[in-house]
Amino acid sequence: MREKKRERYDVVIIGGGAAGLTAAIYCGRARLNTLLIEKGLIGGLATYTNEIENFPGFPEGSTGLGLMEKFHAQAKKFGVRFKGTDVKEVNFDGEWKEVHTFRNIFESRAVIIASGGRPRTTGAINEKDYLFDKGISFCATCDAAANEGKTVMIIGSGDAAIEEGMFLSKFAGEVIVSVIHDEGKMDCNEIAKEQGLNNPKMTFVWNTMVNAFKGDGHMDTVELKNLKTGKMTDYKVDTCFEFIGYIPNTEIFKEKVTLNKQEYIPTNELMETGVPGIFAAGDVRDKELKQVATAVGDGAIAGVGTEKYIADCDVFEKQIMQAEKPGFIYIYSAIDDPSRELLPMMTEIERSFGGKVKMSVIDIYKGKRLCDRLVCDVEPMTIFYTLNGELVATETDCDLPHVEKRLNKLLAMA
Amino acid sequence: MSKEVELDCMGEACPVPLIKCEKALEGMDVGDVLICQIDHSCAMKNVPEWAREQGHNVEIEEVDDGEWEVIIEKVK
Repeated sequence: MREKKRERYDVVIIGGGAAGLTAAIYCGRARLNTLLIEKGLIGGLATYTNEIENFPGFPEGSTGLGLMEKFHAQAKKFGVRFKGTDVKEVNFDGEWKEVHTFRNIFESRAVIIASGGRPRTTGAINEKDYLFDKGISFCATCDAAANEGKTVMIIGSGDAAIEEGMFLSKFAGEVIVSVIHDEGKMDCNEIAKEQGLNNPKMTFVWNTMVNAFKGDGHMDTVELKNLKTGKMTDYKVDTCFEFIGYIPNTEIFKEKVTLNKQEYIPTNELMETGVPGIFAAGDVRDKELKQVATAVGDGAIAGVGTEKYIADCDVFEKQIMQAEKPGFIYIYSAIDDPSRELLPMMTEIERSFGGKVKMSVIDIYKGKRLCDRLVCDVEPMTIFYTLNGELVATETDCDLPHVEKRLNKLLAMA
Repeated sequence: MSKEVELDCMGEACPVPLIKCEKALEGMDVGDVLICQIDHSCAMKNVPEWAREQGHNVEIEEVDDGEWEVIIEKVK
């Protein structure tokens, strides 16, 4: 085995789609040493879409690839480094996170997971030849307008299939739905089911699944197989929409961050995963609407969150947990008067020790994250005592004689 | 001990880089690494695609504007 080369960055972004590239633009612009790793084409799933008409700022529309090339160029402009390879393994345990590729181990303070997902496909004959922009689509929001007055087919009967089918029926002339179950049985909720069945433009073909796709260059025929009779029937359609699920690219993150039942990564609104320094953005996240526009929002939040996290790391290590002198860290809150009023006294104590001890203060109102690094749920008027960069005591007694006594004890230990 | 082999495909258009890579990799052992230098954007797509399909480990690095290194580790 060849030894893997180690390289250090401030942040590693996994995935170069709209979310990852946006995070990269924000991190790069914040002067963070940023690496983005993408296993396929830079631009991600959006590059499979021929026409993106709903991304603001492009009234004339843009191809997916063209739009993503602009994202890429902008990230490069801010000094982001790119690697075109797979991530094999991650390790988020330590303070330096590790991202392994087949040649390198990248170490960074923070990692942004923007690995996206992929639509589940039917596996039918010739399906690969028509995916994305050659007749098989996975996005009604993207391709509905192009099917004005046309005939479309939907594969699936879950919530997405029926709800998107109803949306498509506002544009298409006819919507044929292939359902794998017996007549009347569908996977969607009851309301969607009733609305779907009563939609005059929607017709249902029961007990069927796709056997093959056909067409010269562009798909124009779906061959459905009746599962009961084995009979094959050709349907002439302009676009076939597959809504049989979506698979997030989270295989390598199992047991590294929390995944939900469908294996998406749940985050809070700051894109934090719950593991300090690990953020998630874009389609890989447990969220409602998967679009370039929402991925961009996620990426921006994750990028700014990363910048703050890394700044906090520096303050925490270099100032608060400094190792040169015995230290005390006074926790107050800008909106809590009694704790704020003690600030001058604390400053006076530090001064009276003539430079032998170092005081730090944290305003819990603004800097809750810094406090969380010391201990969870700390109250104002708490004092942490440190020695050689290590926490030695946590006390809530803020009386002048007590604090002085405690600091003298620390000096004696030093 | 595995070795690294550099392959200069600068100035060469498709399908020459791909053919050269196939030939070079044939003569190498599992674990060896081939570094293919290319400046043709078509080769930047088809060389990695082919290598991934073969199951090898692949990394693409843009060394300069319009110049790439496709790094292939032979795995079988």
